[in-house]
Amino acid sequence: MAQNREEMPLDVLFVGGGPANLAGAVHLMNLAKEKGLELEVGVIEKGDIIGAHSLSGAILDPIALKELVPDYMEKGCPIEETECRDEFYFFTKNSQYSVPFTPKYMHNKGCHIVSLSKFTRWLGELAENAGVNIFPGFAGTEVLYDSDTTGVLGVATGDKGVDKEGKQKSNFEPGIELTAKVTVFGEGPKGSLIRDIGEKMGIFSGKMPQVFETAIKEVIELPESSPFLSGDTTVIHSFGYPFGLHTKGGGFLYRMKDSMVALGLVVGLDYEDSGLEPYHAFLDYKKHPVIEEVIMGGKVLQQGAKTLSAGGYYTMPKLAVNGALFVGDSASMLNIQRLKGIHTAMKSGMLAAESIISAFEKDDYTVTTLSEYETKVEQSFIMKELKAARNFTQALSKHGVSQFVHVGAQFITGGRGIFDKMPIEEDSSTLEKMTPAQVKMLETPSAREFDGELYIDKLTGVYRSGTQHEEDQPCHLIVHDLNICAGECYDHYRNPCTRFCPGQVYEIEDSGGTRRLKLNPSNCLHCKTCEIKDPFKNITWTCPEGGGGPNFSIT
Amino acid sequence: MDIVVLVKQVPDTEALIQIAGDGVSIKTDNIKWVMNPYDEFAVEEALQIRDANEGTVTILTMGTDKAVETIRTALAMGADQGVLINDPAAEGSDGLAVAKILAAALKDIPYDLIIAGQRGVDDDGYQVGAAVAEYMGIPQASLVIKEEISDGKIKCDCSIEGGTVVTEAPLPVLFTTQRGLNEPRYASLPGIMKAKKKPLDQKTLADIGIDPSTVGLANRKVKIKALNPPPERKAVKMIEGETPEELAAALIKVLHEEAKVV
Repeated sequence: MAQNREEMPLDVLFVGGGPANLAGAVHLMNLAKEKGLELEVGVIEKGDIIGAHSLSGAILDPIALKELVPDYMEKGCPIEETECRDEFYFFTKNSQYSVPFTPKYMHNKGCHIVSLSKFTRWLGELAENAGVNIFPGFAGTEVLYDSDTTGVLGVATGDKGVDKEGKQKSNFEPGIELTAKVTVFGEGPKGSLIRDIGEKMGIFSGKMPQVFETAIKEVIELPESSPFLSGDTTVIHSFGYPFGLHTKGGGFLYRMKDSMVALGLVVGLDYEDSGLEPYHAFLDYKKHPVIEEVIMGGKVLQQGAKTLSAGGYYTMPKLAVNGALFVGDSASMLNIQRLKGIHTAMKSGMLAAESIISAFEKDDYTVTTLSEYETKVEQSFIMKELKAARNFTQALSKHGVSQFVHVGAQFITGGRGIFDKMPIEEDSSTLEKMTPAQVKMLETPSAREFDGELYIDKLTGVYRSGTQHEEDQPCHLIVHDLNICAGECYDHYRNPCTRFCPGQVYEIEDSGGTRRLKLNPSNCLHCKTCEIKDPFKNITWTCPEGGGGPNFSIT
Repeated sequence: MDIVVLVKQVPDTEALIQIAGDGVSIKTDNIKWVMNPYDEFAVEEALQIRDANEGTVTILTMGTDKAVETIRTALAMGADQGVLINDPAAEGSDGLAVAKILAAALKDIPYDLIIAGQRGVDDDGYQVGAAVAEYMGIPQASLVIKEEISDGKIKCDCSIEGGTVVTEAPLPVLFTTQRGLNEPRYASLPGIMKAKKKPLDQKTLADIGIDPSTVGLANRKVKIKALNPPPERKAVKMIEGETPEELAAALIKVLHEEAKVV
């Protein structure tokens, strides 16, 4: 541990203020009260307020919520639409085919449409009222281990008030060492601390690589007269266009309160086409007749992007180590088949809370007691769902007819499919080198029209995400070897970072044949696509100064 | 040295601002509320003066229940205590009425110095600080970028168009802040924990002797007729060209034909 940092001891520390950890913190306080235990519990969150970095579709299966807050409706839980009435399409460029048979796992009966940002904010209020110390604006930047790295002691928060050069400014505020008997990591997909724990404690060893998808989402305000607002359908899912059969992904359109809709496009980050620009695909999706008809006359209120963990069962890390537990998306608990992860995340946090209570009762915080959490997850609906979907992401990665055969076989066999434990390829290794024809296409982009209202360019989108960072701080995106950018990456892939980043953080400056990567870290939407997809694994995402990043409020 | 800082809770500058159905107010449902940025300078300056001279820093604000968060933020930065005037009858007050209310509250708080933000970034009224000083009958300095206290006097560098004016007055004084005065500190984690235990008084209009029929929305002297969003920010246009001559020519063309300013 560094010498000059103050230590602040807690009983339990939750790292990340998302649905997993907040549900866990609320459940922990409830259980502690029942047992007469007095616990000092803290939640740190890098966003400026709880919910500022929360973005999802989102269709919420309320199974865990009902357990946590049986009277959630009376308690003011922000629900956009109580009922999901689905339409499910296969899109071609100008047309659509209604999928006649909606698979069981795509049924959303009993589910609600929510804004994850609002929902998380509400959970944060519940936690605060239950006596949890909520610390938004504090990024965990370093895991604290015991001397032989066999256990986790807590997390250090990042220094604040450091300039571009790394020098202390007049308002320098050193980070704090938050120590706890148990630390729960719920950082969301591709957490930067769980990465470190993976390297030092091997929690991912023997597992398939974690894989991800990136979602770009907008909340659009429709004219009050829009027929979609009074129609029967509240949910439109689609696959196919704008992606070809070689790229997995799909679109969603959900009705919200106050004449708003949530519109999004998800792309699997195992895509192969180096020229693919997810943001452009999203614009194309918005122009599809089915979608355009709904959103016509609307105005984009908020935009954002985030990755989601898609690997599921075979990519889950070891869930407990001495002094720490891993929950939610950090532990690959999203069910990609159902396109849902809030319910599994919340449940995992709650199961973590139950195991933590056992640990306090036994006064033993080693993996011996904490592994009770692993057993509980194994016996819960989380594992039941994830097992049934264990080969799903792999099947979707297949091309053409093979994809349908694999998906169908899994449907019939309850997840086993044609052969079980289908391998997963790491997202960073799937890009194919550009052909001269692709390069030519890239150099002659088709013109796109933006009206600043319904159709907005990337930078306007960044503006609508409310993203802001302290400008005078060290760059939080570490590019390890700039020569790769100007050389090999340009030659083979034409710098895909300039396309897959939805915030236009990466640009290539070309002055008289000398190419140089230029970074705009202040645009960063914290989606982490860059670290996942870069074909050379040349980018490492670290937490910028706490409080920076998007300011989502209705996503 | 006892210092009072006048603070206002405002929507974050990055918050999604939507005009409400009445056309004269904004939707407040999904807004992130923060301390007015100019008030952050005021809190920071007060803490620095207190630390150099001893004494206390009191945070005074008017608002609803959620304004407690903003007072806690100031307490977490290091202020000693907070006072919130929280009364439904005060809601919707204009600048003058707010000043009247704050001045009434100040009668019960000892002070040698009052510091306020130059303006709230929500209404951009610039009135409250000056009006409070008038109500209290004390000297004031505006848009201060530097101050120096000695022998019971304060010397302030006030920014004006194209320069600064140096003013001096005997304490007590009220001054308002300008960007550049200081770099506000961050609230630390231990500071946030300590802030929970610091005194925070809530008072109604009756507690400070204000007649509700003289303040609030119904008694505004300044009425809002309509709210309109500012024009959308347009994307930056990069001028392309090889030589300075080409660039200049291209720039003139754009200024003439697109921006129509030359």
